[in-house]
Amino acid sequence: MKTIPLAIIGAGPAGMAAARTAARHGLRPVVFDEQPAPGGQIYRALESTPLRDPELLGQDYWHGRSLIEALRREPVDYRPGHMVWQLTRAGEIGVLAGDTAALIRAERVVLATGAQERPFPVPGWTLPGVMGAGAAQVLLKTSGVVARAPMILAGSGPLLYLVAVQYLRAGASVAAILETTPQENRRLALAHIGGAIRGWRYLRKGAGLLRELKRAGVRHERHVVALRAEGEEALTGVGWRTAERPDDWQHCEATTLLLHHGVVPNVQMTRALGGEHDWSEQQLCWRPRRDAFGRSDIENFFIAGDGGGIGGARAAQLQGELAALAALESLGHIDGPTLAREAAPVRRKLDAELVVRPFLDALYRPGDSWRRPDDEVVVCRCEEISAGEIRRVARLGCAGPNQMKSFTRCGMGPCQGRLCGLTVSEILAAENGQSLEQTGYYRLRPPFKPITLGQLASAAGDAPGAPAWNETETAS
Amino acid sequence: MANYDFAVVGGGLVGSAIAYGLCGEGHRVVVMDEGDVAYRASRGNFGLVWIQSKGLGMPNYSDWSQSSSRLWLELAPELKALTGIDVQHQRSGGVHICHTEREWLQRRETMDRLSRETEGRFHFEMLDHRALASLVPAIGDDVFGASWTPMDGHANPLYLLRALHAGIHQRGGEYRRGGPVRRIARDGGGFRLERDGESVHCQRVVLAAGLGNRGLAEQVGLEAPLLPNRGEVMITERVAPLLDIPTTYLRQTGEGSLQVGDSHEDVGMNDGTRTEVLADIAQRALRAFPRLRDVRIVRSWGALRVMTPDGCPIYQASVTHPGAYLACCHSGVTLAAAHAKRLAPWIGGGECPEEIVPLTAERFHVRVSETA
Repeated sequence: MKTIPLAIIGAGPAGMAAARTAARHGLRPVVFDEQPAPGGQIYRALESTPLRDPELLGQDYWHGRSLIEALRREPVDYRPGHMVWQLTRAGEIGVLAGDTAALIRAERVVLATGAQERPFPVPGWTLPGVMGAGAAQVLLKTSGVVARAPMILAGSGPLLYLVAVQYLRAGASVAAILETTPQENRRLALAHIGGAIRGWRYLRKGAGLLRELKRAGVRHERHVVALRAEGEEALTGVGWRTAERPDDWQHCEATTLLLHHGVVPNVQMTRALGGEHDWSEQQLCWRPRRDAFGRSDIENFFIAGDGGGIGGARAAQLQGELAALAALESLGHIDGPTLAREAAPVRRKLDAELVVRPFLDALYRPGDSWRRPDDEVVVCRCEEISAGEIRRVARLGCAGPNQMKSFTRCGMGPCQGRLCGLTVSEILAAENGQSLEQTGYYRLRPPFKPITLGQLASAAGDAPGAPAWNETETAS
Repeated sequence: MANYDFAVVGGGLVGSAIAYGLCGEGHRVVVMDEGDVAYRASRGNFGLVWIQSKGLGMPNYSDWSQSSSRLWLELAPELKALTGIDVQHQRSGGVHICHTEREWLQRRETMDRLSRETEGRFHFEMLDHRALASLVPAIGDDVFGASWTPMDGHANPLYLLRALHAGIHQRGGEYRRGGPVRRIARDGGGFRLERDGESVHCQRVVLAAGLGNRGLAEQVGLEAPLLPNRGEVMITERVAPLLDIPTTYLRQTGEGSLQVGDSHEDVGMNDGTRTEVLADIAQRALRAFPRLRDVRIVRSWGALRVMTPDGCPIYQASVTHPGAYLACCHSGVTLAAAHAKRLAPWIGGGECPEEIVPLTAERFHVRVSETA
């Protein structure tokens, strides 16, 4: 098996920044990314998007250009279309490119696998026509495709406004925004107002988006306390209740419903590697353990960006630089004093970047009833397991998510528990009267994404057509 | 402090089947299980109820497995009636695939030997390619043949575990989870079991903690010479009906997914997966079933078999600590019916099933002295 000094998984802001930092220090990293082009979710399709008007996707999007240019220009072995489906603590990486699987070993690995949308289980969320707002935004960026009208956005958080505004600018009509942010969040967020004032840039941006929505005359319902997607074969409408009118179901016709309750770290790989994860009550998600440089508790693994806790694209970029520096230092490529000198200004910028987070997290914290839905709501989409079934099994004395999984098949489908894991842990913790730490999470196993038997067989030692890593120069 | 007739240490397939049987006889039973993350062989099980090739050199083990295969026909409907859970048991017969003529000839020799050793109580047939293809139409053209027995079959091991737990609950048994049991001490006429934050008193104790038996057996005058042996298994997305009967390393579950596996590695207490092993498993499965090339794998896992030096189970009552029993085996699914319906009644005070009389750990000492 070929061994390389440094592998970076993911080509979003964190991964690209890590690659640039390593390259500038004379070490040529290999960057594996599943997508055909660099940018991650935030700068998705930046080089090719048909939406060239800089106003449309906004300044924050086009900020990614310099990182992408560096990835293209610097000596980086960038491998787009390479899906990492297996990873071991020994640094063994299973990658799939096209129909060919291959194995490579890296002495150090920077995980920059980013975030995913928080599961948002409501009645009817499995209907065609219902999707994540983040997924809809990807469609818009990559192909300029606008979801079918009438369209409703529901949920909470800055991305919800951003997607609504981007759709409006792209010429789509938005029928309504249903805001689920609980009333008391404003009061709770005030405790962190100091950080918010220092992070004024974010607040100003949020206010600007809201103004734009208001100007466009978009219906904006606040304090939504219940939501359901309606329809038989596909979405035909959306129903909701508000705190002000708790007994009335209000309705609106819709063929598209975009849901969003913020993003959470994508922990598939850190979980599969068996790293320690802590529950963040502030962000309501699991965070793999890492130090200020991104060193994980798994030897030779580093975590950069939102995969280690949500901080946004700018923070991810800075964390990518730090993780690369730490990896270079542990490889002996730079010395300790160089690490300290180079990291100091990055750390300062990072601190300034993160200062607004406690405020944002408190303001857009999804309420309990959204995270632990009623019994009839499907939680595991792959195996169609409802919240009620999870509660029933919990009452029989189910020890945790892994026993739940083996008893009910909840989390056993192709999504590998991405869409139900958080909900299951939160429901079990509440039912058993335990903390999230005591409850735990799914034990994840490869492949991280499905791979065919034929593709896997191609990784066998004597398989013909295995890619020759030796032919490529990966180390400097 | 609660007082139980029996404490069963281990809530996996072995412990649960025994506890289920003991509850059925009216005993007051507590199952002491570990938490959500443990070395759980029961969750990694392949799901075969498998007779062929078991008991070579130990015909009693073949008889014991065959007895369980027959009792499965009672256990599965009983669990369904009691708990509503269909454990998807099928006694459909099963095949062991031989890719080449050489493999086929070797297999025939092994099967012949097993048949001789059991004095004809083990029945099998060797199938050529055509006969195999009529049973398993999806089989690849290059496969030479197979061995077949009518007694083999399969079940869903996860539903079995769930049904046994539900059955224990229905029959009035208690299930307690916590840390591993660390200490077993004599206490009056019975035993006291200790683990972090808890101490349980019982009249008799059954050790069914898989590899965990290693640290417990010696506390009650028994020995459990066990080693972990890792098997890696993959499961695919659901596909249209493809296989009516299970094979040694590929079976179709009741849900339609395919389970692919059967590897043996000596890697200590490591239940991860290795890409090379998985790739080899995939390659072999494709040699037998080329049409599966584009079927997607959604999950893989490693699990540790509870392996004795000769691969046969150990069942033993303690002489020095009357009332303490030991059960160790790697075939928790195959033997579930025998454990519930024959082993439990013995532990509960009945007669010892004759097949398992020689299956004590004493056999390892005999061998040592013979070869010394």
